[in-house]
Amino acid sequence: MDRTKYHWDGMEPVLPVFSTALIFMTHRILIIDDEDDIRQVAAMSLETVAGWDVLLAGSGKQGIERASSEQPDAILLDVMMPEMDGPTTLLKLKANGSTSHIPVLLLTAKVHGPDQRKFAEMGVAAILFKPFDPLTLARQISAALGWKEGG
Amino acid sequence: MNNRDRVSPDDNGHRTEAQNEAQSQEQKLQTMISALWERSRHTVVERAALLRTAGDLLGDNSLDQATQQRAVDSAHKLAGVLGTFGLPRGTDLAREAEVLFGQSTPLGRDEIERLQLLLAELTRLIDRGPLGPA
Repeated sequence: MDRTKYHWDGMEPVLPVFSTALIFMTHRILIIDDEDDIRQVAAMSLETVAGWDVLLAGSGKQGIERASSEQPDAILLDVMMPEMDGPTTLLKLKANGSTSHIPVLLLTAKVHGPDQRKFAEMGVAAILFKPFDPLTLARQISAALGWKEGG
Repeated sequence: MNNRDRVSPDDNGHRTEAQNEAQSQEQKLQTMISALWERSRHTVVERAALLRTAGDLLGDNSLDQATQQRAVDSAHKLAGVLGTFGLPRGTDLAREAEVLFGQSTPLGRDEIERLQLLLAELTRLIDRGPLGPA
């Protein structure tokens, strides 16, 4: 199991040494997004602000494999991806006995009401919107999943 | 994203240790995001260029369906990322471009002019970057 924390090439390693990182419980988050820059900024946000472990996947297929093998505490899933989009990935995750229990938060730039209702009916834990604020992303996830900070 | 004003002094004008550490955290994250912006800029610039090309083709009434769809996708991607990098206005412009490029009916002359204007503004914003002069 790859527990190596995500590091950013050319930057010093991200260490959760800040006081605000200490108020978050440790969690492991899998980010599934085909956009490299989104994956990187979300990862550095969650590691730096919250001190969480972050796993990355660049496609729905890879994300399902990582979710099954690594059992993250939650999945942050992009909606619009080539080949296997977010909703299809979500359905496969929910249909798989080894991943169906993992809460999935959809990350989308779409803001239309009908889409939100459809996603809610598909069993998503929450819908987060792009663009996200790197400073508050961890708090948004914690709040959506009912994770207590400072535990 | 400009976060310099997020950590405020307490009621007595003093900064607590926690506030200092929070500001240090913000500054470190800001530095990392700025560096990531520089690494991602070429992708953003390419997407904006595609939008301008599509806008020009639209103005010439020669935009094919495949390029139109690529423009919709590029605008969507830009809308999703620019705000995170500290360009919320860029997200607004890209969202508007996504809607206009995604119209199933032909755009009117006013809409095409609006599209080209907003793409020009989007290009200027991206060229300037999140830390450039206002």
